[in-house]
Amino acid sequence: MSTNGPAGETNLRPHSQRLSSQRLVRREFLYGMGASLGSVALTAMMASDLDAAADGPLAPRPQQAPAQAQRCIFLMMEGGPSHIDTFDPKPELERLHLQEFNRSGEQKSAMESGKRYFVKSPFKFRQAGQSGADMAENWSHLAGVADDLCFYRGCQVDSVNHPTAMYQMNCGNRFGGDPAMGAWVTYGLGSVNQNLPGFVVLPADSYPQGGSANWSNGYLPAHFQGTPLRPTGSPILDLNPPAGVSRQRQRQNLDLIATLNQQHAAQHPTHDDLSARIANYELAFRMQMQVPEVLDMSDEDQRTLDMYGVGKEPTDAFGRKCLLARKLVSSGVRFVQLYHGSWDSHDYIARAHGSLVSAVDQPIAALIQDLKDRGLLDTTLIVWCGEFGRSPDNGVRGGTAYGRDHNPKAMTMWMAGGGVNAGHTIGATDETGAQAVENVRHVRDVHVTLLRLLGLDDNKLTFYHAGRFKQLSQFGGKVIDELIA
Amino acid sequence: MFRQLITLTLLTLIAVESAVLAADDSSRDLSNESETLFVRRIEPLLRTKCWGCHGNDADAIEGELDLRQLDHLLAGGESGEPSLLPGRPDDSPLYLVMTRSSEDWSAMPPKQAEAITEEQQRWVHRWIETGAHWPSSERQTEIANDYADRWSAEDGVTVQTSGGLDEAWTNRRYKPETLWGYQPVVRPVVDAADGDHAAIDALIDQAMPAGLEPVGPVDRTTLIRRATFDLIGLPPTPAEIDAFVDDPRDDDSAFATVVDRLLDSPHYGERMAQHWLDVVRYADSSGLANDFHRGGAWRYRDYVVRSFNDDKPYDQFVIEQIAGDEWKPDDPEMHIATGFLRMGPWELTGMEVPKVARQRFLDDVTNSVGETFLAHSLQCAKCHDHKFDPVPTQDYYGIQAVFATTQLAERKTPRLKSENVHGFELERYLDVRRKEYQRILAELDQVLLDNALQWYANNGLADDDWREIVDRLQAENHSGVFNEARKEIGQGRSEQEYPPKLVGFTPQEFGRERVARKGLQALAFEYDTYRPFALSVYNGRTPQVKSINAPFRMPDDRMTKGELEQGHILTGGDPFSPGQPVRPSVLSVLGDIQTEPIPETIAGRRLALAQWIADPRNPLTTRTIVNRIWMWHFGTPIAGNPNNFGSTGKPPTHPQLLDWLAATLVDDGWSIKQLHRRIMLSAAYRRGTEPVDRKQWAELDPTGTSYAVFRPRRLTAEEIRDAMLAASGELTPTVGGLPCQPEINLEVALQPRQVMGAFAAAWTPDPLPQDRHRRSIYACRLRGLADPIQEVFNTPSPDFSCEQRDASNVTPQVFALFNSRRSHARALALANRCLNETDTDQEAIDLCYRLVYGRAATADQQQLIQQHWQQTEQQLPDHATAWTQQPTEVQRDAVEENTGEPFRFVETLHSNKDFVPDLQPTEVDKHTRALADICLAILNSNEFVYVY
Repeated sequence: MSTNGPAGETNLRPHSQRLSSQRLVRREFLYGMGASLGSVALTAMMASDLDAAADGPLAPRPQQAPAQAQRCIFLMMEGGPSHIDTFDPKPELERLHLQEFNRSGEQKSAMESGKRYFVKSPFKFRQAGQSGADMAENWSHLAGVADDLCFYRGCQVDSVNHPTAMYQMNCGNRFGGDPAMGAWVTYGLGSVNQNLPGFVVLPADSYPQGGSANWSNGYLPAHFQGTPLRPTGSPILDLNPPAGVSRQRQRQNLDLIATLNQQHAAQHPTHDDLSARIANYELAFRMQMQVPEVLDMSDEDQRTLDMYGVGKEPTDAFGRKCLLARKLVSSGVRFVQLYHGSWDSHDYIARAHGSLVSAVDQPIAALIQDLKDRGLLDTTLIVWCGEFGRSPDNGVRGGTAYGRDHNPKAMTMWMAGGGVNAGHTIGATDETGAQAVENVRHVRDVHVTLLRLLGLDDNKLTFYHAGRFKQLSQFGGKVIDELIA
Repeated sequence: MFRQLITLTLLTLIAVESAVLAADDSSRDLSNESETLFVRRIEPLLRTKCWGCHGNDADAIEGELDLRQLDHLLAGGESGEPSLLPGRPDDSPLYLVMTRSSEDWSAMPPKQAEAITEEQQRWVHRWIETGAHWPSSERQTEIANDYADRWSAEDGVTVQTSGGLDEAWTNRRYKPETLWGYQPVVRPVVDAADGDHAAIDALIDQAMPAGLEPVGPVDRTTLIRRATFDLIGLPPTPAEIDAFVDDPRDDDSAFATVVDRLLDSPHYGERMAQHWLDVVRYADSSGLANDFHRGGAWRYRDYVVRSFNDDKPYDQFVIEQIAGDEWKPDDPEMHIATGFLRMGPWELTGMEVPKVARQRFLDDVTNSVGETFLAHSLQCAKCHDHKFDPVPTQDYYGIQAVFATTQLAERKTPRLKSENVHGFELERYLDVRRKEYQRILAELDQVLLDNALQWYANNGLADDDWREIVDRLQAENHSGVFNEARKEIGQGRSEQEYPPKLVGFTPQEFGRERVARKGLQALAFEYDTYRPFALSVYNGRTPQVKSINAPFRMPDDRMTKGELEQGHILTGGDPFSPGQPVRPSVLSVLGDIQTEPIPETIAGRRLALAQWIADPRNPLTTRTIVNRIWMWHFGTPIAGNPNNFGSTGKPPTHPQLLDWLAATLVDDGWSIKQLHRRIMLSAAYRRGTEPVDRKQWAELDPTGTSYAVFRPRRLTAEEIRDAMLAASGELTPTVGGLPCQPEINLEVALQPRQVMGAFAAAWTPDPLPQDRHRRSIYACRLRGLADPIQEVFNTPSPDFSCEQRDASNVTPQVFALFNSRRSHARALALANRCLNETDTDQEAIDLCYRLVYGRAATADQQQLIQQHWQQTEQQLPDHATAWTQQPTEVQRDAVEENTGEPFRFVETLHSNKDFVPDLQPTEVDKHTRALADICLAILNSNEFVYVY
């Protein structure tokens, strides 16, 4: 049964939870509906039933428009990295440093109002690569791949609060509950490898504000939900029974369930759901074996591990994530989102941003170089951003502990890989970095552009829900042509 | 430029040519046709589909193409080509873009979902073919008047509302069939002699596809399981099943007794409340950045349970939730009832602009009232008049103005006699946490004082003044001496002359300080759980508050201080762009049933709105609730979208039945219980689930809405958990009271989770089994931390109203039900119970079957189970492996915000020190453990998770 819109139009894919054929059930990967759960739902064993790939909910689908990029790695720096201290130098702040002023009015939050002073960046800047990209000097590794990046300084968002801004960046809607971009992309393009989830999330140690709604499938069918791979513990919750239950006992219990279910099904021949549920038990049993194999890093050589900074501080944690991201996209995962943070440096920005950059700089540069070496960069879209930028000024928060507040009116994001206008910086902010002034676009246009880079048309990638066709950009938007090569 | 000139010249020639031809009669017919076609079809089409980007906003015209005037169309936009070639539709870009299949012109409108229909394309084609005549506005009015009657019969009707943002919207036409929701409820005349439930069957039979034979009544064993889960969300007990199956009376009388017994059960209210809480988005926390507890929310939850149990007339239930405080200001229960208005996620942090946060509440409550009671998603009319339904933006802000004086507070509300206050001693764990946070802050205060002296030394500054202040504050037993001393010494000094805040902290100390400080804030909200406050509202001016970091109490000066908000249409929904003022109002399409206008006084607005909603003549209200209740029994609603009766929702499959139910509800004094009786005693409700002829059923009833067959359903997440607890004998049946904390997946319980500036405390289960084994409706629902098992079985997120539960079938459900500790614990307890309450293995198996399936095991099944049992017992080790226990502390690793460096702290889980575990495998013999494996299989089987 398809979900029909008012004019008889149908959604791209069948609303598969209403379907009950065994084939479809086997593609239901997600673990934990949006929950704070982890899961992978990898089903290497399913390689045998090839027919399933052809029509399952995660079956690959053609792009809606020609594009180079076929997959996406989204580096989400949650907390709001400061553009002023990373990729958008503001010499004017040297002059204004510690000048005080007052700001008031009912359009100001408590954070923005009252006594403020300008703060210069504690970081020195340089121009990297042949393109002369602006970068703070502490991005020493990223500078090596500067010419592969396309910086964008024109994006604006609507919210100054973390969870609502995160929801907007991830899902288009500030209030959560809508599908994340990864869910939309997987819905639109399916996944190349039917043995892995289409949309994988690698969260930080702690979940971001707003929690798992940041990788929700929203109103899209459950298959398109982001599957978080837990950094510690069981990668999928309850993948295994409590201690003391042998595999043999598991098998016997499953056999008993199967027998009970078969007897029951004989009395309810019209009830289609039964066979789907029976099939799920077999699939789950095999997944217990297969899941750990996918996460195994022992086949990577030392040079690769060193390149990503795996095994040394402060790069180990994010280095592992970047390497895993490469492994996942190489095996056909459509969309991988990595979290790092919190970049919410209200105080001591020199120290805080300093440590944050040193934790991600080498791993990110390694990821780009590695994909390039493997010939995958041209077909992979990499996005780096936070949920908003930071202010050129600070509230009076105590002497020398300079930091910056939230700023929805200016930020820097960059893209690399398939189809992006590499080696260019697009848009500009004003002389203090307070707001974008050139090529200013709402985040919805960024979403439309990212979809376009992946061969998707935001106006076609829609889903009928609650009375209207919904889309990532919410109400439609325009491609930012300058970001595309 | 040259090209344009040439084009224009050509066009002039064409125009001249047309003028010449116009002398001809047939050509006059053509031009008439073209003009009327334009007025009737083309102008409305251009206006709704094109002008949004090509005309309305003169500063932002896409492709430099303005489609509001003929000459612009003829001239074309930036492409330089004319959009329209009169007489040549197949060469006209205006037509070609609409076909979405031109190679030269991209599809328009850009959104696939707004594509021009084939019928509309034919109109455009014909209009161009007939010369693309574009009459003057006077002529347009003339034509519209001439044809008004004829078109109205063919194109639909206009609807009287308060009026749209423009004339065109105000005068637009609606297909009558999309307006069914607003028509008065008319009780259909039914020729049914055998009592009222027969009327339901008569109306269903009337609509039955010809030749489709409905299934006969289901057996009593199946029927009592169906009815019991439906009405109380629990399985029938073996004794209840026996009583019904052995009842010698006829089926009607015997079943009527069962239904009455279930309606009298206190668990009936719990089950109905679960449905209601799905719609209103109940949670015990506020969501968003802080996800603070809503300590008083559970009192609203219990109010809903009580209301259903008392069979409170539905009209009263409506009034109480919207305006109980105005209706009966002295009744504390009425203050609790208005918790409904607070159900949406909401907070005000110092990061957010207060007016924006206030607007979020107003938008939320406006939409929620519409969805919940009127099956109208009003938010569609927030930025523009409703695109499909007769809901103007004026009405959106009119209803919103009702709430302009409604303020949010946790109000002091005395306990009711009917409220369950069991378990209040659990508050002591909050005390322990509070003291611990205070101790950490005191310790860190000392660190700062030491660091301050070091700072003076390092900077070569004299510390005499500082020491003097600190000594004095310490002598006064001040807490937070460092911060207080900074404040004092800062008077008249520049910031370089005294220590910075949090001076010299290590990442570890930064992190601990935040966790303790934010922890204290969060605790203040959690304390409200145990205190006589209700999540409620009051009437007054809007207080000037910059952030809310502690429960907000009703201020004394509420009528005099703060802004008296005025209703306005907000342009684009922006609170900083007030447009035309609006008075508080109701939905104007149903304005004629309003007896009194809504007053503009500070108090009394909500009551007037509520009385209009609860008016028996309000057809949306009565249809909305009976449609929901029907769905709660049959799984499918009569009108397919219970939150949306507008033209984008699915129309009713049985409109007469819907009206009969709505009219009957009012005649029954708005009694919901009476409605259940009528529905459940119908033949339709008591049918079997296997069609008489499968093929015939599939052919004649492809949408499955004939009610010829009763559709089985999967148990909800709550029913699965509750039924497992009921079967194992562990369920605590107490009604109402504090939110309980069941054990959830341990990794999720301990997963660090960011809240604003720090980390939320870990989830700790209630120490005593009887406290945590309460029904699922009482489980504490935090927006930021869902119980993963409940979630995977489709418990909806409380951020959006859930009109209908999903029942997905996904593999992770297997992990949750087959591998989780929860399932293993229930299986073990069930096995233990079955053996304890019986004398033989055979009896134990039989009891297990009766508890879980509601029937005895067959001889074959007895044999199968016994065999499996013996086999398992032989293989089991003599000593069981112990399960992981609840930890008493957990180590947290996180990146510290001030330094960007890792930090680590240990969180003590105080209540876990008193944790009493459920029955453990190490406490029972091998025989019991082997039976537990069988119980696990039975609890995972389809016969348990589906109801027939």
